[in-house]
Amino acid sequence: MAAVKRLKRVAAAQPGFISFKSSAGSDDLNSGQRKRVNKNKKKNWNKHSDIQDVEEFLDDVRLQERATGGLISEKPDDSLFFVDIGEQRKYVQPEVQEGKKGKKSKSRPLRIDLILQHDSLVPPPKDILAHQQPNAKKLRRIAENAAKLAAMGVLPRRQKRLLNRRPAITASKSKTAANNFPDRPYYDLWGGDAKETADPYYLEQTGKKRVKRPEKLNSKPSVLPAVEVIAPGGSYNPDFFSHQALLLEAHEVEVKRERAELRIERQLAVNRDDTATEETVFQELVEGLVEEEEDEDEEEEDVSIRGGLQQEKKTEKERRRERADKIKSQQKQAARVFTDKKQQLFQLRSIQATLKRGEQQTRERVAQRKANQEAEKSMPRRLGRLRFQAQDLEVQLSDEIPGSLRTLKPEGSVLKDRFKSMQKRNMIEPRERAKFKRRHKVKYVEKRAFREIT
Amino acid sequence: MGGLQKKKYERGSATNYITRNKARKKLQLSLADFRRLCILKGIYPHEPKHKKKVNKGSTAPRTFYLFKDIRFLLHEPIVRKFREYKVFVRKLRKAYGKAEWTGVERLRDNKPGYKLDHIIKERYPTFIDALRDIDDALSMCFLFSTFARTGKCHVQTITLCRRLTVEWMNYVVTSRSLRKVFLSIKGIYYQAEVLGQLITWLVPYQFAHDHPTDVDYRVMATFTEMYTTLFGFINFRLYQTLNLVYPPKVTQYLDLTSVCKLNLASLARVVATAEEEENQLDLFPTEGEDQENMQAREKEQKEQEAQKRLFEGLKFFLNREVPRESLAFILRCFGAEVSWDKSLCIGGTYEVTDETITHQIVDRPDMDKQYINRYYIQPQWVFDSVNAQMRLPVEDYFLGTTLPPHLSPFVEEKDGDYVPPEKLKLMALQRGEKPVQEDEEEEDEEEEEEDDDEEEDDDVDDEELTEEKNLKKLEGTRAQGKTLAVKVTPGKVKPWETGSVGNKVRLEQEEKAEEKRLAIMMMKKKEKYLYDKIMFGKKRTTREVSSLRCAPAKPTRPSLRPFACRWR
Repeated sequence: MAAVKRLKRVAAAQPGFISFKSSAGSDDLNSGQRKRVNKNKKKNWNKHSDIQDVEEFLDDVRLQERATGGLISEKPDDSLFFVDIGEQRKYVQPEVQEGKKGKKSKSRPLRIDLILQHDSLVPPPKDILAHQQPNAKKLRRIAENAAKLAAMGVLPRRQKRLLNRRPAITASKSKTAANNFPDRPYYDLWGGDAKETADPYYLEQTGKKRVKRPEKLNSKPSVLPAVEVIAPGGSYNPDFFSHQALLLEAHEVEVKRERAELRIERQLAVNRDDTATEETVFQELVEGLVEEEEDEDEEEEDVSIRGGLQQEKKTEKERRRERADKIKSQQKQAARVFTDKKQQLFQLRSIQATLKRGEQQTRERVAQRKANQEAEKSMPRRLGRLRFQAQDLEVQLSDEIPGSLRTLKPEGSVLKDRFKSMQKRNMIEPRERAKFKRRHKVKYVEKRAFREIT
Repeated sequence: MGGLQKKKYERGSATNYITRNKARKKLQLSLADFRRLCILKGIYPHEPKHKKKVNKGSTAPRTFYLFKDIRFLLHEPIVRKFREYKVFVRKLRKAYGKAEWTGVERLRDNKPGYKLDHIIKERYPTFIDALRDIDDALSMCFLFSTFARTGKCHVQTITLCRRLTVEWMNYVVTSRSLRKVFLSIKGIYYQAEVLGQLITWLVPYQFAHDHPTDVDYRVMATFTEMYTTLFGFINFRLYQTLNLVYPPKVTQYLDLTSVCKLNLASLARVVATAEEEENQLDLFPTEGEDQENMQAREKEQKEQEAQKRLFEGLKFFLNREVPRESLAFILRCFGAEVSWDKSLCIGGTYEVTDETITHQIVDRPDMDKQYINRYYIQPQWVFDSVNAQMRLPVEDYFLGTTLPPHLSPFVEEKDGDYVPPEKLKLMALQRGEKPVQEDEEEEDEEEEEEDDDEEEDDDVDDEELTEEKNLKKLEGTRAQGKTLAVKVTPGKVKPWETGSVGNKVRLEQEEKAEEKRLAIMMMKKKEKYLYDKIMFGKKRTTREVSSLRCAPAKPTRPSLRPFACRWR
């Protein structure tokens, strides 16, 4: 804004400039009412005065002095221009040049040197340090001090920095710090000395002491051994009965699996005889519609009568009778209880026998429960969404058994075995491979060419 | 409502457990990182007893961790390293995207890494704790060392596993700690006794590897990372106990066998001195009861020493088709010298043509060129001998013969259980009796007088029978350490009545039976009732077992040798 204003002002100040507003009118009106500006302060000078032209001129002058050594207008014509007369034939005098080499160089300086001479009017700045020369005494003193310090072992700062500078080889050291580096060095981990030199409380508070590992983590998650040896039937040359035993085990597993598969089918199975035939369907539809014989009608009536009787009020006789009956039955009950209690004395033995049986049952159940709990300790726990799937028994059929070690084909994979063993021992949770889920549906688009054809 | 009423799910088991996702958010890690951290630190998910309480009323299956465990995880320094790694990956990806190759290089040079030493120290504060957990580590490292070197998992990991397994095998060879071997269809099971701990591990076969797809490789790789660290430290300590220099200098980790020989040469000590330094059991003056124990222990120790020198002095040569690593390892463990064809692998010291070879292990149906003074046997002989703790008679394992079944040494049979007849024969052999059947024994004795003349010269008869019998006898005597100067009558000889050994045994047994009868007579009625019940149950199993043994209608495998059924 200010720049624009300035420009306008400058333009307006040029002679011959015609502004929109007629100057005469404006002069008449505004000459007396020109805005009063305070030019006492520097701030106001900068605002209200324009020195651009002077500045430009001075800059130009300075540039000329710096770059070309003096104002161009003051330079002689020869230094600025030369007359081009065409090619000049230069006669070469090689022998004369060789002999008078030194003189020539002295008498006429090289063109390149002339060009490169600085011809600026601005003199190079003074080198203050060149004037600051310590006297010989001072210099000697400095040298002596340095020698003394070096003798003591103190090095000047520069040398210390040079020594401290690490060589570039350390970068490669950190490269080989990977964990699975083949030539990894090992040391005696358990034979080291205790490093507890400081106060334990201090170490704990400043975070230098390691946090203690909780005791529970030291117990193994399962009682199973790490490597379970296969049954003797799994030998590469097994003896007959153990091999049969192993085959039987595998067979049982397969049978169980098949039964589980067929279970649903079995549950849904329907007896052929129960299926509805046309006759039975007809029978069902027709039931109750056909009129039967009269006996059945009477029976129906009786039923209805009895139902009606029950709704009539009870007579006094009935009530009295009911009360007497009740009392009698109560008495009978009491007598029976009394005799039972008496007789129980003679039934002691059988009572004891029943009690014993009951106790034995409870004991058995307790033992069974304990055994179940123990068995559960060796079973894999349910950790996570998937259940543990035991791997198939590694067994070779009778015709696959090799006669010799050379013809043996190994069964199963040790990698899978180790993986499953770790799952069995509750060290990792059973996992399955992650499925590939698409975020967005795949769009099928025909190419333009195809679209035109079809 | 009032202020002091208890709200549900605010205390008790509901606050002791935390779900996996919540734990992950608390630690500010991604799921993969969280899983890796849990595996490295040994923090496992728990199944709470009352799921409904912990899950705040729902029964959806979720993974739960103990809250205290997760709080402990917050103090772990490598959590910071995981986050730095995440940032590193992001920066690297950006640099790649902008094609700033200098930036990529610089970032790569400063890749953040972490160390697991402090975790191992925290999880296994003593060396014995670590030794107890080494089964898993061994199996994993052996498994990874058999992987192909494609880019599926880091080749560096495979190399490191290779190196560690080779060092371990060297240690076992030097300390002669191998006890049992079992060849199964899955792989080879080994059992060794190291510093009093029984360690079992499984080694897959070198051939036939198909990688299953439903195994999580990242999880296995994390486990391996942890186990390799643990294993390395254990190796260092074990080598220290033997005063050997660690790490042993080897040029190539291609193959155990190539390395073994070099290793033994470069070890700081010769193996022979190991035997000199055997500790003699201190003889304490003890009472009568303890003396029996002492004697038993001494006997055991002597047996162990004898077992350690099972193949000492023998020279073996392995043919091309046998599993070289496994056999070389086992044979060296028991003091034998092994070699193989030079073109197979480096490290074969002597060639086929060496005259001093005592046994050659071959797996083919027949061999073209047969040398005179060596046995050609199938590899099962080695494994069976190791399990039987003695050198078995070689004739059962000659080329072309049907092998006896390979029994599992990991099976402990209780009395009354079915014991395969081969095992019975083995036990008889171990006891030191002649393992032949009655008919063959007659022929043996007849020929013995003839053979006295033939023994001096080592002529080879063309008839295989006599040769076999000769060798059998020689083997038997070598195994039992007896001389052939036993006087035998031409009549039928029952194994019970040979020499004074049988008599003593029988007397002992009779005494024991007598004692047992007395004890039974002195029992109270109730106790007798219980005892009868137990014996009835036992007798039932033995009846079943003997019916199994003598069942003639059972179809036998064509490759099994028919065994005689005898009623005792």
